[in-house]
Amino acid sequence: MATPSLRGRLARLGNPRKPILKPNKPLILADHVGERRREKGEATCITEMSIMMACWKQNEFRDEACKKEIRDFFDCSSRAEAARKMRSIQEDLGELGSLPPKKLNKLLQRFPNKPHVS
Amino acid sequence: MAAPTVKVARGWSGLALGARRAVLRLPGLTQVRWSRYGPEYQDPQIDKEYYRKPLAQLTEEETYERELRKTQVIKAAPATKTSSVFEDPVISKFTNMMMKGGNKILARSLMTQTLEAVKRKQFEKYHAASAEEQATIERNPYTIFHQALKNCEPVIGLVPILKGGHFYQVPVPLADRRRRFLAMKWMIAECREKKPRRMLMPEKLSQELLEAFHSRGPVIKRKHDMHKMAEANRALAHYRWW
Repeated sequence: MATPSLRGRLARLGNPRKPILKPNKPLILADHVGERRREKGEATCITEMSIMMACWKQNEFRDEACKKEIRDFFDCSSRAEAARKMRSIQEDLGELGSLPPKKLNKLLQRFPNKPHVS
Repeated sequence: MAAPTVKVARGWSGLALGARRAVLRLPGLTQVRWSRYGPEYQDPQIDKEYYRKPLAQLTEEETYERELRKTQVIKAAPATKTSSVFEDPVISKFTNMMMKGGNKILARSLMTQTLEAVKRKQFEKYHAASAEEQATIERNPYTIFHQALKNCEPVIGLVPILKGGHFYQVPVPLADRRRRFLAMKWMIAECREKKPRRMLMPEKLSQELLEAFHSRGPVIKRKHDMHKMAEANRALAHYRWW
């Protein structure tokens, strides 16, 4: 789909009609992009935690009786931690989706938008 | 002063090889807030077994790593880390946590006195016990120490999370080092606060360690209280986002 046109949309001296758009900043491409929106994470290891707590309730919070559940919970949390670390490294390297905003901004600094013709 | 947040030392500092350059240069003053080692410095390898391995048995990666280390600059090993057989990282960490005002000599002597007290108590019990019981009594103070701290480690922790203007205690899985830290901290806090007036620290600590070894005592109770709170707040677990 083509870019919607900007002809006669802004309040200017030569424009007889009412303005359609009233932007609060000038409509000029900047040499940086905005930050990535943080993804809504969700709590990990809830099932293992609830199993472990059910076992605790039955055995009066003794750890010797619930060894297997506790071990599963620890395994789950270490796996979740490793996944999170992998994900943050991947984000920084830019493997999933686009480049991270910091690297993009560095690139745009080197090749800025030319408002002039020279 | 121009830079009130920067801790400085007076006097001439010759710029040693590889020392990090001070960002803020005040004449006659050196910045001493952070480590003086640059990022190129590697940690020292203290483990004797690493060096005892015969060269023929090394894999390619290990030979490469050794050759690389010959070219790298290495930090000086701290005085507390030795390659002695008696060195124990858990004991060192516990001693450092007990230390007050940098008095490592006192902390270390308290630690050795504690281990000695534990050993004496166990030997008394051993000599007073019958033959079948003697097999069950543990006399090595290091195993007792490690087992007691392991028994005191909490499995799950609580973290205050702000939601809707209120702080809720949310159950959260803890990292290994956090659990070890909490166990040691609770042990030290318990011994410092709930001590009878004339009782010395080694005696109280040895008492608490033996009780924790048998899964009794106030530190274990504190761990159970933490677990009970986590269990009571299990519905709030969805407030976590990690």
